[in-house]
Amino acid sequence: MSAHQRDRIMVVVSPLVVLILWEFCSRTNIVDRRILAPPTVIAATIWQLIQTGGLINTAGITLARFFVGFFLGLIPGTLIGLAMGVSPWTRSIVQPLVAAFYPLPRIALFPIILILVGLNETSNVILISLGPFFTMIITTMAAVLNVEPIYKEVANSFGARPRDMYFDVMFPAALPVIMGGVKLSVGLALLNTVAVEFLVADNGIGHLIWNSWTTLSISQSVAGLVTAGIIGSALFTIAGQIEKRVVPWVPDNR
Amino acid sequence: MPGEIRIQGVAKTFVGPHGDVQALDPLELTIPQGQFLCIVGPSGCGKTTLLRIIAGLETPTAGAVDFTIAHEGQPLRSVVFQEQGIFPWMTVLQNTAFGLKVRGVARGVREAQANAYLDMLGLTQFADAYPRQLSGGMRQRVNIARAFANDPAILLMDEPLASLDEQTKLLVQDDLLRLWEGTHKTVVYITHSLDEAIVLGDRVMVMTNRPGKIKSLVDIDLPRPRNVLDMHSNTTFFDIRSRIWTALREEVLTLRQREIHNDSVTV
Repeated sequence: MSAHQRDRIMVVVSPLVVLILWEFCSRTNIVDRRILAPPTVIAATIWQLIQTGGLINTAGITLARFFVGFFLGLIPGTLIGLAMGVSPWTRSIVQPLVAAFYPLPRIALFPIILILVGLNETSNVILISLGPFFTMIITTMAAVLNVEPIYKEVANSFGARPRDMYFDVMFPAALPVIMGGVKLSVGLALLNTVAVEFLVADNGIGHLIWNSWTTLSISQSVAGLVTAGIIGSALFTIAGQIEKRVVPWVPDNR
Repeated sequence: MPGEIRIQGVAKTFVGPHGDVQALDPLELTIPQGQFLCIVGPSGCGKTTLLRIIAGLETPTAGAVDFTIAHEGQPLRSVVFQEQGIFPWMTVLQNTAFGLKVRGVARGVREAQANAYLDMLGLTQFADAYPRQLSGGMRQRVNIARAFANDPAILLMDEPLASLDEQTKLLVQDDLLRLWEGTHKTVVYITHSLDEAIVLGDRVMVMTNRPGKIKSLVDIDLPRPRNVLDMHSNTTFFDIRSRIWTALREEVLTLRQREIHNDSVTV
């Protein structure tokens, strides 16, 4: 069995085994099924929520929030990271600010954001954007700084103008690492989307999970969790596909 | 004539944390237009530094390199780097056409020119492949094609075939000579391999240990066009080889003595 075949089989088998174990433990009451309902019951709950509870709509709200926050952080973060990578001046000005804010738990900044923009959708997406924003600043800067010096020499030896240097050499050379940052950002943005919905939103998957929990509809809460998981893996799969298109020269499974 | 290189008192000192290192002693040399000059010398003798100075990638501490300016529009020099110098994000065709693109040559024209060189090197079927899909030998052919496609007066090569196995090396040497013969391009070619220097060069320059200076200059009176694959059974080849080795041997032994006495600093 090749490594590739193994990966393809396990992507189905590995979760399936966990699901079967879970079903078994729950049905036999090894874990209290009032707390952790079996997967078949949760699947039924999801189906019911889709038909009557507007689960699709709820997931849509979460996705919209995710995408707005994600790009709100991704685009300026990448641009600032690029500027810091190519300009030592920008780097020395911005670096101390990034170093001060990056290690703070993002959620701890939420009160400040609320004071600044008020409790509304804007504050939600700003909080979501912080993960991608800082991640892209740091990975993009590192990507540019770590471009093999020989590429710059080759370009210089052919008399490349700054425009060629940035667009034909530095940017594509840094792109594989930047795409790694994009994938990290997907996870961080989703994390904070759900967190923000726990905290303040009155809709979305995070709200569904938290609200169901407080009303002790555990299976509904777990159904929300599963939906969040499905959304997450779908987003990762999409990000992986985009990566393949954007950096086709990078070998798979690197 | 375009492509003559005059190295006039070029010296280089590297300023380092453990004191200054004199890499090159003042060096005088004229490389006539169209000559294939190979430079050999012990490790760390400054041959790469010299090439980088000629390439304009390094500034000499003293002296200057003078070129007879190429005719209008022709680029002065192109460098063939080692294997890693190929851009992994560009296809073989885009890599080959890079120099022309930078010079603003229209897409159709530059691709036609690049394709011509790819054809000569048997790379046509890989034009749209990425470098990682190629063998080391093919990657170096792309490197060579890129330098030639740019059509410079001078080609500078720093151990371009060092990472290839012996058989592949012979084949790429053969390709290189086929491409070069008749172009009247001046070549400066750095190598560790005496055989390679003799097979390719019109003249071989042996350098001394650091600080590098000229130890000897040997003309290679082997007829052209040369057949790389049969060269190693030629008696003249061995005469020349033993002459150059005598000069190099001394330097290599000195280097060993230095290393034993631990006063060697790697630059």
